[in-house]
Amino acid sequence: MKALIEFQEVCKYYHMGDTTVVAADHISFQVYQGEFVAIVGQSGSGKSTCMNIIGCLDVPSEGTYLLDGRDVGQMNKNELAEIRNELLGFIFQQYNLLPKLNLLENVEVPLMYAGVPKKERRERAKVALEMVGLADKMKHRPNELSGGQQQRVSIARALVGEPSVILADEPTGALDSRTGREVLGILQELHAAGHTVVLITHDNSIAVQAQRIIRLEDGRVIYDGPADAPEAVVTPRAAGRFGGVPS
Amino acid sequence: MSILESVELAVKNIVSSKTRTFLTMLDIIIGVAAVIVIVGLGNGLEQYVTDSFSGLGTNTLTVTVMSRGSTRTLSVDDMYAIVDENSQYLDLCSPTVTMPGMVKIGSETVSTTSVQGVSEDYLDIAGVTVSSGRRLQYSDMANREKVCVIGAYLDQAYYGGNAVGQTLRVGGQSLTIVGVLAQQDDTLEEGGSDDCLYLPYTTASRIAGDVSSYIVTMREEDYIDESVAALESALYEVFASDDYYTVTSMAEMLETMTSMINILVGVLAGIAAISLVVGGIGIMNIMLVSVTERTREIGIRKSLGAKERYIMEQFVIEAACTSALGGVIGILLGDGLSAVASTVVTRLMEETLTVAPTLSAVALAFGISVGIGILFGYLPAKKAARLNPIDALHYD
Repeated sequence: MKALIEFQEVCKYYHMGDTTVVAADHISFQVYQGEFVAIVGQSGSGKSTCMNIIGCLDVPSEGTYLLDGRDVGQMNKNELAEIRNELLGFIFQQYNLLPKLNLLENVEVPLMYAGVPKKERRERAKVALEMVGLADKMKHRPNELSGGQQQRVSIARALVGEPSVILADEPTGALDSRTGREVLGILQELHAAGHTVVLITHDNSIAVQAQRIIRLEDGRVIYDGPADAPEAVVTPRAAGRFGGVPS
Repeated sequence: MSILESVELAVKNIVSSKTRTFLTMLDIIIGVAAVIVIVGLGNGLEQYVTDSFSGLGTNTLTVTVMSRGSTRTLSVDDMYAIVDENSQYLDLCSPTVTMPGMVKIGSETVSTTSVQGVSEDYLDIAGVTVSSGRRLQYSDMANREKVCVIGAYLDQAYYGGNAVGQTLRVGGQSLTIVGVLAQQDDTLEEGGSDDCLYLPYTTASRIAGDVSSYIVTMREEDYIDESVAALESALYEVFASDDYYTVTSMAEMLETMTSMINILVGVLAGIAAISLVVGGIGIMNIMLVSVTERTREIGIRKSLGAKERYIMEQFVIEAACTSALGGVIGILLGDGLSAVASTVVTRLMEETLTVAPTLSAVALAFGISVGIGILFGYLPAKKAARLNPIDALHYD
């Protein structure tokens, strides 16, 4: 299988006055086509930095990030915008729909920037909204919808451009547990349908819904393996405190 | 994403905040309307001046003389002689004696009529024909006949179209009407071109004194300078000084007046245009606020693949649309105000003055307002386009 996302010794430094913060410290991992990976960590662990770099919103300070074989670190702003448009579908915690546009127009936005003709755009956006079960609310504004429905719209928007990677940043963070489960269910369905899904979360109970977990702490990978292994959900520090993982 | 779609998007955003957009546009509206009205007024004024001059033709020269002692004077015959001598440039000549007196028709006094003593050639110079009766003739001049021709207004208003043969009084002198002039204006009105009376200059000078001004026509309008020079040198020979006569060409006077009006209009329009610049700054201000307010939207759009160019385009087009819309409203308002101004000025001055907005002024005002939108929208748009998508996404 081909590695879709490849981090090679990726580092990210932020300069705050005189001090330098290391947000990502030689992170390496690969995500293959068709995988469902959760990147887990507490706040400050570097998961947001990872998410920004994977999402091509930021570039590594050191190391190499290959997305679909292309070196993102060498790209300029325009190329990054293009690659976000072509290869990535974002799902955000706060849904991030455009409040002045109706659902159909919201879902059309990525296609508009891709230069898809209006008629085709409309058709594809309709299909995407049907997929998440909101075809009957096409002409509604986002604020007329519940949080779960809005998140489904943002999933439709993430899917409509047929991206290689779906990147979900705390997608259930703003939802109650029932609708959160629904959204996770949709992500699992997408995985089952062959999509590559990367889920960023701080919540172990969400992370275990993925197939594989990459756990970060202090900017380093401390676990990378199957989600159903017991050590996937326990940090070494906690393991030390509670006397380790029972064998 | 085409320009058309960007415009559509911009219009959507403009419409979604009507009050703010309107307030932003207000300066542009006022500026454009003011420019249009002022330029229109200038045009009306220029038209008015041109019309009042063209009654005498732009190929005419006006000569005014004074006497210098008892020896150095210029008689009417001398003047005719000068014109004859310079016949390669000069054509017709008529003394003009402007009569300050009023016209009395029966027991009624008419004060608006322009009364002039002229020669038999005057009607040719002025390009007026006689519609009934006869013209003034050489014999009228020679015999100081107590006759006159009158304009169509007097004929219609006081004689019901049968003025020929009737009498009226000018400065106490009774005159017989021998002819009625053809109508010159579109409508007959008091004080208009048709409210006039001409009598032989010889008769007039008996009432009003010596002839002191002449109107002379040129053979070729292209030789204004030569014609003026010829007249001046002949007059200099008579007076031995250039303090006792003036030669003015109608064309030059018209030109002077027109350029004065143009300068005035230019200055006023310039002042009005300041309002356009102020409007542009207003747009810049609002766009900057709008960029801050919509930081999150910009972040979302960028995460979905909008390049800097698209974000930039969106904001510039929005600014341009706002000011263009202001421009259109300003143009409509300016047209409306021009119509109102025409009515008011006409009523106040009792003269017909049309405030006519020109197409070029309208096009210019529209172009400038769009240009201002683009110019002042550029900075905020650049700020928006440069936003870091990560910061923009997390902006609250």
